[in-house]
This record gives sequence, C-alpha cells and structure tokens, in this order.
Amino acid sequence: MNSLAVPAIGGAELHVIEFGDIVNYFSPYTAMLFAFAVLFTVIAIVSRPERQVDIAFGGDAYYTKDIQPEQLKFQRFMAIACGLATLGAVVSGDVFNFTLFTSMVGITNIGIVAAYKNRHVLNAAFQYGIVAMIATVPLFGGAAIILATTGTLSMWELFGSAIAVPLIAKAFLVLGVMGEGMAPFYVAKAEITRAPGAPYVLIIHVSSLLLFLRVVEIVLSM
Amino acid sequence: MIDFLLFAVFTGLLLHGIHRKAIARIQGRPGPPIWQEILHSLKFSFKETWIPATASEVLFVAVVLVALGIWSAALFILLLEGSILMLFGIYMLHKIVEHGLGLSSGSPYGKFGAIRSVISAASEIPLFATIGAIYFVTGSLQLSDIIAYQAANGPLLLLMPPVAAAMYIVILSKMHYSPFAIIEAKEIVSGNRTEHFGVWRAALDVAFSLKTFVLLYAFVLIFIGGIPFAAVLVLMLLLLLSLSFVCALCPMLSPYDTVTMQSLATALVAVYLVAVVVIA
Repeated sequence: MNSLAVPAIGGAELHVIEFGDIVNYFSPYTAMLFAFAVLFTVIAIVSRPERQVDIAFGGDAYYTKDIQPEQLKFQRFMAIACGLATLGAVVSGDVFNFTLFTSMVGITNIGIVAAYKNRHVLNAAFQYGIVAMIATVPLFGGAAIILATTGTLSMWELFGSAIAVPLIAKAFLVLGVMGEGMAPFYVAKAEITRAPGAPYVLIIHVSSLLLFLRVVEIVLSM
Repeated sequence: MIDFLLFAVFTGLLLHGIHRKAIARIQGRPGPPIWQEILHSLKFSFKETWIPATASEVLFVAVVLVALGIWSAALFILLLEGSILMLFGIYMLHKIVEHGLGLSSGSPYGKFGAIRSVISAASEIPLFATIGAIYFVTGSLQLSDIIAYQAANGPLLLLMPPVAAAMYIVILSKMHYSPFAIIEAKEIVSGNRTEHFGVWRAALDVAFSLKTFVLLYAFVLIFIGGIPFAAVLVLMLLLLLSLSFVCALCPMLSPYDTVTMQSLATALVAVYLVAVVVIA
C-alpha cells in the first residue's frame, strides 16, 4: 500500500492510480485542483464562444466578431488538450511527468490563440511562446538536478525527510512553472486575452494557476 | 454550518457598507448608510435578469456559481481550521472568476476588465511568499497548528511583521476602491462585472461579501491566533477600517504600477525570509 510521506501539506492521499512505477494520487488538495480543471474543461467542451463587441472609433458604430467553425473546432480541441495536460500535472506523483505535462500546457496555450488571425494576438502568442519555451530549460533542469542528486523522481520518495532535495532544483521548478504564465513572466498573456473564444482562452489562465498551485505544494513537500 | 454561512454573508455585506461609509467620511462626503450593500443585494435579487445576446451563456452563469462555491468552501476550511494552502488555492482560483466574468459577456468593458485582471495576477505572488514564510516558521500549513503555535510563541503579527504586511497588501488588492482595484475602475464602467446584473449581480455580491469576510477572518486567525469570536469580529472591523483609510487616501494605481508594487512586496518578503533562514 502506498503512503505519502508528508500528508500535512496537501492532506493524506485519498486514492492512487498506478501506472507501473509511476503512481498518481489524489489528496484533498490535488483533488480540489483536479475538480477545478475538470470543471473548466467541461465548460470548454459544452460552451459556445461569446461574440466580442468592438467599438468602431470615430463614430457610434459597433460590430460583433463571430468565430468561424474551423477556428472554433481548433480552439476547442486545443483547450481540451490543455485541460487534459493540466489534469495530468495536478495529480502526478512523478516530478518528470509533472514537468512534461507543464511544458505541454505551454504548447497548447499557444495553440488556443494561434488560430485567431489578429496581428496583436499572434505577436503576443509568439512572445508568450518564447518565454514558455525558455522556461522549459529551468523546468527540466530542476527535474534533472533532482534525479542526479537523489536518484529518484518519485514524489512518494522525495516527500520523505530522508531525501534532501537541493534548493536550486526547487527554485528551478518554480521558475519553470512561472514561465508558463505567472507573474512577472506573464506580460504577453494579457494581450492573448484579447482573442475571442472566452471558454477556451479562460483555460489558459486556469492551467497556469493550477500548475503554480501544484508546484508550490511539491516544493514545500520536498 | 448553514447558519454561519448566512451570518458570514450578511456580515460581509455589512463590512462592505462600512467600507463605503468610512471612505466617504474620510473624503468629506456623507456616504451611503452602512446597510446599503445588503439593500443592493436584495434589490438585485428581484430585478429583471437576462443573459446578453453576445455572451457565452454557460460560462456567463458558471463563473457566478463558481464564485459562490469557492468562497463558501473557503469559509468552511476556516471553520474547520484546515489547510491554508487550500484556502489560498481558492483565493487564486478567484482570479479565474474575475477573468471569466469579464470575458464571458463579449462586452468591451468586461474584456478590458478581464485583461486588467490578468495583469493584476501579480497580487497572488506576495501570497505565496507569505505561505512559504509561515510554513518555514511554524512547520505546518494547518490552521489548527498555526493557532497552536501562536498560543505557545505569541502572535505571528509580532514575530514576522513583514509577512503580515505582505498579506495585508494581498487583502488590500481585493478590496473595492483599492489602489489595486484596476479591474473595476470607473473608466471601464464596472470592468469585468459590467454585464452581470439582476440575480447574477446579487449572487456576485454575496460571493464577494463572503470573500471579504473570509480574508479578514483568515488574517486574524493566521496572524493573531485563537481568540474569542467577538474579539475576532472587532479585529476584523479594525482591519477593515485601516483598509478603508488606505483606499480613501490613495489614488488608483496604473496597471503596471500595481504589478511593480506587488512584485516589490514579494521581493521584500523573499529577502526577509532569506534573512530569517540565515539567522536561524
């Protein structure tokens, strides 16, 4: 029977899902994050996008933007992929899987807005992509340092007091996740938010926040 | 539990009213009566309600329900003296509510509010510096353990004042009329809440009153410790009045200045934490 070494941070495990030696788990904390990711993934699946109202400057006219069906399908697909990657990250019991899902979130976030052919949004997505890709260096670097110094990437072992994880590895993990869309590396995200398709754009922010909440639990537990 | 939830809602609405009254009196205006926010919520409950034609209907309604759900859950975490990591996880998820409110309607004002709420996400960073510092000093994130620690060692407010100041800035950033309240600035009408009215606005008022109650209550429990509930309420009121003074006297910051201020607060807590670690 698996048992988390430090139950006090996220609470004792409620349920485990084993994939060979990779053991995902639900604690009250990760279950809360999981439920929230499921909720907004379902909203992305069942919602129709809003029609953004834009004001034409120089007069009192306004117009609404409609999303084309092809764009809607692509945005929805990428939003669901982002939701699934987030689900994987928040229940992962393995540091490498967590970093892998985190980098996948960064890629899908670009995809959600990349279909929208607007110069400002595409420029912002490009800038966001550069920051997110650079952030994968400390992200995977943190995981590599943990493996090199402790010999394991399993949270079940790393959360125990017997293994000391270097502070630099923890800092790299946090830095890597912050690069996926947290302050102060998130400036391009504000412009991304201009893209239509609220239920899909929203999951960009959901994923960033949930990943950050998870990495805080991971580094405090190690 | 339900009776306490209702108590928290009405107290939160009353605190909002006191906040408005205090700001008005500091600025030399008579201001509304302190029960104005309760009357507002009741009024909105019976107003005509609809969903704008341009809105994403499911999201438009879902974010309101999420707001109610997360702050009710946060209240129960406090009552059960659970994990402050979960409590502040909920605080961060409130940011999604802010984004969703603004984006779901299709309104340009709502959209600007949502874009500003993305920028103001920097307010969450001092929060986690705070959590890290509390964990380092007390060795636990369970509220019951933190209260027990304070019973033995004295209030954290005196033991780690910079951390309390960071938390104070976090609460300030969520108050109405705060220098950090860029998402609902008057130049963008009501920002992300512009299109939510009728029963949606009433539900949001209830959720935000719970938010105010929970944040003030959490501050008292985390930095003062376990004291009689009447004393908790008095301290919450004093804390609110101090926030009202700041809101009344400080102009609203520009979006990028809010980020600068909150990043500086985080950096100061980080430096403080490093100093504590080195001394320890």
